[in-house]
Amino acid sequence: MSAENNTGDVLLSVDHISLAFGGVKALTDINFEIRKKEIFAIIGPNGAGKTSMLNVINGFYHPQDGEIHFKGLHRKQMRPHEAAVQGIARTFQNVALFKGMSTLNNIMAGRNLKMKANLFWQALYYGPARKEEMENRKFVEDIIDFLEIQAIRRTPVGKLPYGLQKRVELGRALAMEPELLLLDEPMAGMNIEEKQDMCRFILDINEQYGTTIVLIEHDMGVVMDLSERLIVLDYGRKIAEGNPDEIRGNQAVIDAYLGVAHTN
Amino acid sequence: MEFLTAIFIQPFFDMVDDPVLFLQVIWEGFVTGILYSLIAFGFVLIFKASGVFNFAQGIMVVFAALTLVGLHENGVPAFIALPITIVVMYALAFSVERLVLRSLVNQPDIILFMATIGLTFFLIGFGEFIFGGEPKMMITEELLLPYDSITFFDDMLILQEIDIAASVIAVIALIILALFLGKTKIGIALRAVADDHQAALSVGVSLNTIWVVVWFISGIIALITGIMWGAKSDVSFALSIIAFKALPVLILGGFTSVPGAIVGGLIIGIGEKIGEFYWGHLVGGSIEGWLAYMIALVFLFFRPQGLFGEKIIERV
Amino acid sequence: MFYREAGQFKSSYVADQELFPVKQDRLGIFLIIGFSFIVIPLIANDYWLQAILIPFLIFSLAALGLNLLTGYAGQLSLGTGGFMAVGAYSCYKLVTVFPETNVILLILLSGFISAGVGLIFGIPSLRIKGFYLAVATLAAQFFFEWLFGRVKWFYNYNDSGAIEVQVRKVFDIAVTGPVATTQARYMVVLCIVTVLALIAVNIVRGRIGRAWMAIRDMDIAAELIGIRPLTTKLIAFAISSYYAGVAGALYVFTYLGSAEVEVFDINISFEILFMIIIGGLGSISGAFFGAAFIVLIPILITNLPLILGIPINTATVEHFNFMILGALIVLFLIFEPHGLAKIWSILREKLRVWPFPY
Repeated sequence: MSAENNTGDVLLSVDHISLAFGGVKALTDINFEIRKKEIFAIIGPNGAGKTSMLNVINGFYHPQDGEIHFKGLHRKQMRPHEAAVQGIARTFQNVALFKGMSTLNNIMAGRNLKMKANLFWQALYYGPARKEEMENRKFVEDIIDFLEIQAIRRTPVGKLPYGLQKRVELGRALAMEPELLLLDEPMAGMNIEEKQDMCRFILDINEQYGTTIVLIEHDMGVVMDLSERLIVLDYGRKIAEGNPDEIRGNQAVIDAYLGVAHTN
Repeated sequence: MEFLTAIFIQPFFDMVDDPVLFLQVIWEGFVTGILYSLIAFGFVLIFKASGVFNFAQGIMVVFAALTLVGLHENGVPAFIALPITIVVMYALAFSVERLVLRSLVNQPDIILFMATIGLTFFLIGFGEFIFGGEPKMMITEELLLPYDSITFFDDMLILQEIDIAASVIAVIALIILALFLGKTKIGIALRAVADDHQAALSVGVSLNTIWVVVWFISGIIALITGIMWGAKSDVSFALSIIAFKALPVLILGGFTSVPGAIVGGLIIGIGEKIGEFYWGHLVGGSIEGWLAYMIALVFLFFRPQGLFGEKIIERV
Repeated sequence: MFYREAGQFKSSYVADQELFPVKQDRLGIFLIIGFSFIVIPLIANDYWLQAILIPFLIFSLAALGLNLLTGYAGQLSLGTGGFMAVGAYSCYKLVTVFPETNVILLILLSGFISAGVGLIFGIPSLRIKGFYLAVATLAAQFFFEWLFGRVKWFYNYNDSGAIEVQVRKVFDIAVTGPVATTQARYMVVLCIVTVLALIAVNIVRGRIGRAWMAIRDMDIAAELIGIRPLTTKLIAFAISSYYAGVAGALYVFTYLGSAEVEVFDINISFEILFMIIIGGLGSISGAFFGAAFIVLIPILITNLPLILGIPINTATVEHFNFMILGALIVLFLIFEPHGLAKIWSILREKLRVWPFPY
């Protein structure tokens, strides 16, 4: 398979991951590799374990078995903020913004890890604290420009329409300057124009910043267009892996989506 | 060294040395614990049916008792005052639903919680304004409750009849409630609401009615608790401090578990009595006020979801 | 008409991130501060200072502290009274041990002891959330009520069981104790409250403030963007308790003059919670609005009937105070959960476009 030709470029590899809640198996023995700077998609029917997979990658769920290798470091368990420190950012299926804060503050919160001024200077809002605040404000304004959300800078995000909220959430993830960006259904519930905008942003992020992107999406057109490689999950198992063309012709995938009787 | 002995060894010697006294301490704790359980039970009922953390549950106990005693003081015979108090508790449930809960539907839980703190203050002010702030005696005799004591082991173990009555009545009340919840139509509707508000609504259960019913039931439980507690001490809003102690019971038992409320109440009741009696004097006494919280807090570190609570799987 | 921001352009992020980006606001706040520092001490009589302004400022400080914890960081606490007591009693012990040291410094230092204690009681917030935590904070309340009432060392083995404030001078002016003038005490309180309020404003508009609000609004997402929940919550507990501690020390040293532990009972915790609900959760100015409101209610209940010629006794005043407070809380939660601060900002928006409707 093509992955073997590029082992030097592997950013993240998922190694025999199994995850269960009580008796329910969410993921069973999942393996795959994500290479630097690619757009990688995870697809599968509802309840296939896609979101659980992302939750494992950024440390929110702790798998019973297997390991995650990221940038050469491997780990069995980590806290979510450690994943953030290592450069993994994500967005959520159901928007998880800080509803009481403005767009600007939401994205500024994404800069949290880049800001170091101690309590003393912050209490004075002077010296390092002020300098840092201004530098990061500049960075955030660039993201706001990039995502074309200048007009809602000061609006509390709870009042924004859904499509814009998704955009702000993407902005917050970008503010972390991640190496790996996990997008959980970034286009769910969007109309065609909003989807087009979002696709453009994803491609631009990938090209301009060289960010590696993992994408979960139900819109097959979008997935096949955007992603370079993808895996297919069904009932917590990986049933296929390859580039869009290979997946399109894969019988197991077609069966999974069309619902052929499941033999377990 | 002596101090360590006093903490770790001496109390246990004392327990073995005088088992009858130990039994007495446990009994006292048991009786208090039952009353805690009752308060916690009323609380759990409201929490399950409406998701409201009813801080006012303890105050409702005092309010109910105060209404009963206050009516009697003003010349109403005990057995007429009792039904009137029940009517008052219904009116309270009705007004709380109409004036507070209904307007706060879909607000964050914490807002509802703070609203019940407001309700607490209102009830204290209102109760004292109507019936006066001075402590009153519970009308134990008039309600035909026993008030003698029985003794065992050559007068070494003293059980108050009122305590025995309290335990019996509490158990009966719990059985009646269990039957009510399990067998009657409204009881089943109530459990449906507790499980899932929206699903219950969609099959035609009226949330508003259910809320009035649970607040009313909690009010009656409060009245029972108030009578029992009032018989052990005076009736005044100073009691509300004791009512706060039902809160650690909830932490311990979990907010949604009826068995949790009962077992938690007994653990806290017995635990704090033993702690106070055998260890309290080492640090100056009267540690009952906070010991319950410490027991609950330590416990939480090992089981954050409480004794019978379900472990919550967080989703994103 | 006079309140317009038209023509005030921001050309740098520094200017845009100013505390009061609108010129008129800036002017207004300078006027208020100038008025409180210069005019009030000159014109206010002892009754105004002692019965209204000093308690108002002290309660504002305590409410400010609680608002940082509850309004910004989203951790509901019912133990404010306990932390105030820690501040007051530590200050009392510090003054006993260091009689020569500047008392203002000791008041500020005692806040650190309170902060340390707050840190310890904040640890359960790692494991428990919401109501569970609220109930757990009651542990602090009841524990300290007991501790300072029972352990004689804390009140220097006084027969009365009360802590008595002695005369302490700063620059040869008595600021605490029986001979200190109300003006001197007012100035001490005002200086401390002003500085601490400014610090609070700075903290909430920076990284820590955003981390608090992120934890409040969605703790899971906050953790996934690299905010450490425990550290963030503990900082909130520590800073909040610092404010409560200083407020407690001021309450005894500059307002009451002598106190028993009962002045820090659970009702004061609730009153301070009410202040931030009425004033506005998650708002610095809200703490001041709320404190003013709650300090003024009992005064109004006492004086209104007198003015109208209806006799009213103190017990009834107390009952009415409870009832009105309780009812107001419910009303505010129903009609304006963001409190007076929100009402104020709505008025400001209206003023911006006045006399046009929009």
